[in-house]
Amino acid sequence: MNLFHRHRGLTPYLLLAPGVLFLALFFVVPLGFLAYQSLQSGNFDFGYTFSWQWSNYWDALHNYEAQFIRSLEYAGIATLLALVISYPVAYWIAFRGGRWKNLLLLFIVAPFFVTYLIRTLAWETILSDNGFVVNTLQSLHVLGPSGRLLATSTAVVTGITYNFLPFMALPLYVSLEQIDARLIEAAEDLYASKWHAFWRVTFPLSLPGVVAGTLLTFIPAAGDFINAQLLGSPDNHMIGNVIQSKFLELTDYPAAAAMSFILMAGILLAVFLYARVVGTEQLTGTAG
Amino acid sequence: MSAVAVERARTRGSALATAWAFVKRYVLTVYSILFFAYLLLPIAVVAVFSFNNPPGKFNFTWNEFTWDNWRYWNGVPGIESSIILSLEIALIASLIATALGTLIALALVRYGFRGRATTNILIFLPLSTPEIVLGASLLTLFLNATFITVQFGFWTILIAHIMFCISFAVVTVKARLVGFDRHLEEAAMDLGANEWTTFRKVTLPLIAPAILAALLLCFAISIDDFVVTYFNSGSRVTFPLYVWGSARNGAPPQVNVIGTAIFVIAVSAMLVNVVVQMRREKRGAA
Amino acid sequence: MTQELTRRQLLERAAMGGAAITFPGILAACGSSGSKASEGTTSVEQKLAKTLNFSNWTLYMDVNKKTKAFPSLDAFQKKTGVHVNYTEDINDNASFFGKIQGPLSRGQSIHRDIVVLTDNDRYLGLMLRKGWAEKLDKSAIPNMKNLVEVQKHPNFDPDREYTLPWQSGMSGIAYNDTLTDPVLSVDDLLENPKLKGKITVLNSMGDAMTIVMLANGDDPTNVTDKAWNAAFKRIQKAVDNKQIRQFTGNDYAPILARGDLMAAMSWSGDIAQLGNKHIHWNVPEGGGALWTDNMLIPKGGNVYTASVYMNYVYDPKVQGLMEAGDPKRNITGIYYIPPVKGAGAFAKKYDPSVANNPLIFPNAKTLSKVKIFDSKALNNQKYLEQWQNLISG
Repeated sequence: MNLFHRHRGLTPYLLLAPGVLFLALFFVVPLGFLAYQSLQSGNFDFGYTFSWQWSNYWDALHNYEAQFIRSLEYAGIATLLALVISYPVAYWIAFRGGRWKNLLLLFIVAPFFVTYLIRTLAWETILSDNGFVVNTLQSLHVLGPSGRLLATSTAVVTGITYNFLPFMALPLYVSLEQIDARLIEAAEDLYASKWHAFWRVTFPLSLPGVVAGTLLTFIPAAGDFINAQLLGSPDNHMIGNVIQSKFLELTDYPAAAAMSFILMAGILLAVFLYARVVGTEQLTGTAG
Repeated sequence: MSAVAVERARTRGSALATAWAFVKRYVLTVYSILFFAYLLLPIAVVAVFSFNNPPGKFNFTWNEFTWDNWRYWNGVPGIESSIILSLEIALIASLIATALGTLIALALVRYGFRGRATTNILIFLPLSTPEIVLGASLLTLFLNATFITVQFGFWTILIAHIMFCISFAVVTVKARLVGFDRHLEEAAMDLGANEWTTFRKVTLPLIAPAILAALLLCFAISIDDFVVTYFNSGSRVTFPLYVWGSARNGAPPQVNVIGTAIFVIAVSAMLVNVVVQMRREKRGAA
Repeated sequence: MTQELTRRQLLERAAMGGAAITFPGILAACGSSGSKASEGTTSVEQKLAKTLNFSNWTLYMDVNKKTKAFPSLDAFQKKTGVHVNYTEDINDNASFFGKIQGPLSRGQSIHRDIVVLTDNDRYLGLMLRKGWAEKLDKSAIPNMKNLVEVQKHPNFDPDREYTLPWQSGMSGIAYNDTLTDPVLSVDDLLENPKLKGKITVLNSMGDAMTIVMLANGDDPTNVTDKAWNAAFKRIQKAVDNKQIRQFTGNDYAPILARGDLMAAMSWSGDIAQLGNKHIHWNVPEGGGALWTDNMLIPKGGNVYTASVYMNYVYDPKVQGLMEAGDPKRNITGIYYIPPVKGAGAFAKKYDPSVANNPLIFPNAKTLSKVKIFDSKALNNQKYLEQWQNLISG
């Protein structure tokens, strides 16, 4: 029996109404204003006027192509890293956590309680040029004798990965915890190895979590600026930094707005391609 | 499960195989412990430095141990009100955002309706909008609402936080609803329960972990938000705003104290909860 | 305890060449150049409001560490009955301006009577040019005559109609003596290969360009394209060959403190407060930058009450206490450069180590070597874009 309802009267709309109306008012309307701003021309001193200034978009794409691409790159790598790092832990908590599950989940989000700046400063202390970590890496010849970890693209990507771990781990856990352990047992009885059982049964069942985690990590990470600002050098800066400077330092609001839309379009494109790969049901949650 | 593996190893008759089975059982645990060590390493550093008596205004180098920062945890003007505001907002915003998000997730996963694709896009958009233009545009909305005098402060911050948290809640709960076994609900309804009872007694408990995860995520995002909050806070100061502001002249060690304290309090509360559960189970079994 | 350590540090480093003659003291001796007759443009109602909303940067006010009170603000309330609603919600000129330009550009009030912005960034001038500042009620600020000479006619507000300095600071070069020989010039900072990857430059155009232009022998108070290009190219080169590790705001401080930097372009106040006797700050050989945080009254603010407060702050006795704090009463001072003549004498009474600190009360020789960046250049769109592209990759 197909429990997927089609046109079941008002129920879906009633469910959607509060949230969607809230977003419509407090997100869509501001976004509309942003779109309007993106087509303005002029300067801060004498004011901006609406003039269908599509060149804002062209200029942004043309001048900052490198940063756009770099942002998608860094976000992509960070997302992959976060997935690989978090998956085993999410699995462990889901299947072995027992009564400690909620406590472990709390540990995952706990770093957020000390504010970004303070935990980044702590990381900078740990990864200092003269610190234990760098010295060890130097003696293992992973880093050159005058090598450093901070103020590099490695630091930026690692920073992004670290700060987005909860966004990947929690959705993964949510979908793994749902899997009935007996399914896995049965699979192991059928397949020769545990690994096979995992790949053929567990992983596909956790795909909704993988997709959710990927989206919640990649999408905001692409627009991040703060990791690049504190942990990077000028040549690691992302498009978020440029948008930030266009808005604050150059008071060039149309440019900042146009760049934001280009970023959003780029992200949506990436998400669309991703949906093609994993199948749209995972993304939208229907069989049809 | 592991008994089967060990059985197999024995039948293969090799001690090595037994050892390997043992390792395989615990490698995941060891890995997870390492993961948490990595995750909480900066917190450890923050906690250590909360006991530091800084040599000057800056708390970057270890100088000497002191209890003073903990004793006078609110000894810097503005810090106490900032953390209270942040906790209030985070609590309320995460509850509302999770509630709204869960409703949206239910609608998206279980119903076909006109505007489904658009709603999906609507959910992804706030995630992809750079914070600075998100914050500034919301500010513009508030400024243009001249028919009501918008008081910048608690309510505007709350609205902003709910706004960007909803998407996270939707995506997290959806991960649970996709692939949810509807047969359980079917069975309940076959047994005579109506939709609402089924939802309350069957669906909700089964998606509870997802709702909890969404709550935790939203809470964390809200308590750490800076950019969007900055634009819409008027002259109210939340904890991240306080920290960023004070960093110019040296964030006081009390900042470390508060961060560590919240962590400890939250963990303790959760521990107490677990212990109480365990006791209840024991009593139930007895 | 923190207080004592700081004082000890300060005392150890007090000797910066000879007798520290306080700058205001020199002027008092030479005699100031005739006070301006302040005819107030007073169509302003001279009635005190009940509250004064004052937005400032953090840790920029004298504070009692035990009671968390602001002694000078409490004294003001006692004297005038006005309660100061003091919020430390400014942490950066650009973001604060980005926030308040919203309401101000729509003619709405930002519900503040005094805000504080820096003069070597474009926003102070922008506020004045857009007409978003109220004129001061000079008739309520007779103490304005105590303003130090060098601050009397800045090029963004030549007659001090709209702004009054809050505190000043200097930008120069700090170095860590355990890691490097003294770094005293821009040549060293930007071109000494021994420092490669171990230095930072300020991300503030006004600071960095002033210092480099002075090193090139050009005049930063009157910027020409030629001078700009020469200085810009020099910094660009240092970026390209990885000499410069990062461009920073005040976040050079932790990096310097943990030894990841050999030298940093930095602000004077911060270095004194690092409490590390191996880190020394100097005005560069070619000269350094002077910046001043200015008070101004945003449109819609209560002009009279704000002006009365400004007058209060310009009383040398009040300024002396604010500046130095009072260790005996657990009061921490501001420790930046005060703009009020005669404050040094009073500061001495409360905390002589502060009064003798050349970074807080610099002598005339030091002050002659620091310049304020050309405010026209601060708003040159071409320069701004070039600079932002440089620091933001």
